Amino acid sequence: MRKTYRVLGLLIALAVVVQASAIAFGTFGFINEIDRGAVFTPSSEPPNFGPMLHAINGTLIIPVLSLALLVVSFFAKVRRGVRLALFTFLAVVVQINLGFFSFDTPVIGLLHGANAFVVLGLALTAARAAAREAPAPAAPVVEEAIA
Amino acid sequence: MAVKHNTRMVVGAVATLLILAPLAVMWLSSLAPAGYSVMGMGRAELGGGSADGLHAGHDDHGWDGPPPGPGDVSVAELTGPAGGEPDVAVQLVARSEQVQLAGTRDESIPAYTLNGSTPGPVIHATQGDLVQVTLANESVPDGVTLHWHGVDVPNAEDGVAGVTQDAVPVGGSHTYRFVVEDAGTYWYHSHQVSHEQVRRGLFGVLVVAPSSGIAADHDVVAALHTYGSAATLNGAGGEHHYVAGPGESVRVRVVNTDNGVLRAWVAGAPFRVVAVDGRDVNAPTPVTDAAVVVAAGGRVDVAFTVPADGPAVLVGVGAAALVVGPVATAAPAGTPPTEVLDLLHYGSPADLGFDPARPDREFDYRIGRRPGFVDGRPGMFWTINGRMYPDVPMFVVSEGDVVRMTIENSRSDNHPMHLHGHHAVVLARNGVRATGSPLWVDSLEVDRGESYEIAFVADNPGIWMDHCHDLEHAVDGLVAHLAYTGVHTPFRIGGAASNEPE
Repeated sequence: MRKTYRVLGLLIALAVVVQASAIAFGTFGFINEIDRGAVFTPSSEPPNFGPMLHAINGTLIIPVLSLALLVVSFFAKVRRGVRLALFTFLAVVVQINLGFFSFDTPVIGLLHGANAFVVLGLALTAARAAAREAPAPAAPVVEEAIA
Repeated sequence: MAVKHNTRMVVGAVATLLILAPLAVMWLSSLAPAGYSVMGMGRAELGGGSADGLHAGHDDHGWDGPPPGPGDVSVAELTGPAGGEPDVAVQLVARSEQVQLAGTRDESIPAYTLNGSTPGPVIHATQGDLVQVTLANESVPDGVTLHWHGVDVPNAEDGVAGVTQDAVPVGGSHTYRFVVEDAGTYWYHSHQVSHEQVRRGLFGVLVVAPSSGIAADHDVVAALHTYGSAATLNGAGGEHHYVAGPGESVRVRVVNTDNGVLRAWVAGAPFRVVAVDGRDVNAPTPVTDAAVVVAAGGRVDVAFTVPADGPAVLVGVGAAALVVGPVATAAPAGTPPTEVLDLLHYGSPADLGFDPARPDREFDYRIGRRPGFVDGRPGMFWTINGRMYPDVPMFVVSEGDVVRMTIENSRSDNHPMHLHGHHAVVLARNGVRATGSPLWVDSLEVDRGESYEIAFVADNPGIWMDHCHDLEHAVDGLVAHLAYTGVHTPFRIGGAASNEPE
């Protein structure tokens, strides 16, 4: 379970990096096409797979991973594991909402971009917490963490 | 230790259940059967009017809805004139094939064609004509239908797979017969897997001339469609030049066949908006330096006179443009105006023919969005009155009812709302009453955060779709129905014909 927790944390972090790469790919794709005279309307297909990847990864894969991290945290003996998983999940929920609000109010995109680092930081912290040696079973601190 | 360990496992298991059980329930309850009737879908809303056997206790009859009783009419019986020689007879053959669009830099693209081209042929008719169109499906694997967008046809001719007919399979054919009672600009398109079939070209334009003839020297169709990333007019990309002499009058029929809203504008001459969605504007005044919003699925006819001296006239149609003028005249340089003409305050008021202040039924069509499942598919989906497809409203009306509807949009996206079989008049936007010419629409652009009040007379019995014409949104559940008391449909969504109207 500990290992699963750690792998899930790392996968979320990796998925966040993919998000940044995908949206940069998409944005430069649009700019490149526009510079060559293309006109985009709501009916145009995007210039590459970047925006689609960002959408699927962000609304499906990352939420599922962060939900899985939360469930696994209940069983994995990781110090502050539940708390970190819960914060990661909440940060993802906030992130998705910021993303959807940004279509109406683009300036919210500034927060969407910044909050990505919160998700990344929490996921990496969770993965690191699971990497530490399992504390001795008798250690009181473990009991505290469980309670 | 063992106790602690067990406690942890139990708490963990309970927490997991608390998280996953609601998700599992949501997922399970979103699953639709392989075939079902829209008569049993969602909830009946009566809007303050009475119900009948087909809609009372709607919720208790599962996916088929209450059984029809004696005297109830099937959609299949609500046809156009069965006998009589058609004034306009057209054969359309639907195919799935590669096409090379003129004036685009794209290689040939996979498309759906009618009589070998996309768009299909422009069908010309005159007000009062009996139109007969025979649709044969040669090779479109999912099956096809033709919906007469904006023509208030009898219900059986409406061309909605699973609601008014079965999709026409490969090798099959279906004949549509109806009288075009109102002059104007319309279009036709498949309403089977429409989000894909329309995007890939299964559509065409229908122009109904008034019996008195078209009062312009030139009558030009400008149907915008985006294939891939290529914006085209009438199926061709690149520059469009239409030859018209100095001083001649021109009517351009802008048809938005895309999923997105477009702006139409004219540079080089003042113009008038003479018709919207196939209904004339009363006393239109000249417009300069303002664009007109054309909802997805909507039509706007603009009229102008080519200047006696000077450059040609440029008609901007979304990402495409049309130059109208004498040969070898340059197009004026033009950028789209930032100002948008407000059609609610354009032209002069006229008699509506009914009193919207005394409605028989009043409905809300509130659009929202939230995460969830539609038929087991996870995602962000549209909600109507707080519920997700297929738990969507069935708005129940009786023939002769005056109906008012408030369409309220959240801030998630804009929605071109399309009511089949009827034209509704726009009464107000965001509480501000319309003061101009009566604005009759079948496709209404509802922007983010906007609310509209519309009214119509229920004068065309049937089961009618009332949905978003951003067809991707329709797939994601932004579909409701308007149902007349005493009318039922024997057709099914899914089922043997694999009907999939969205």
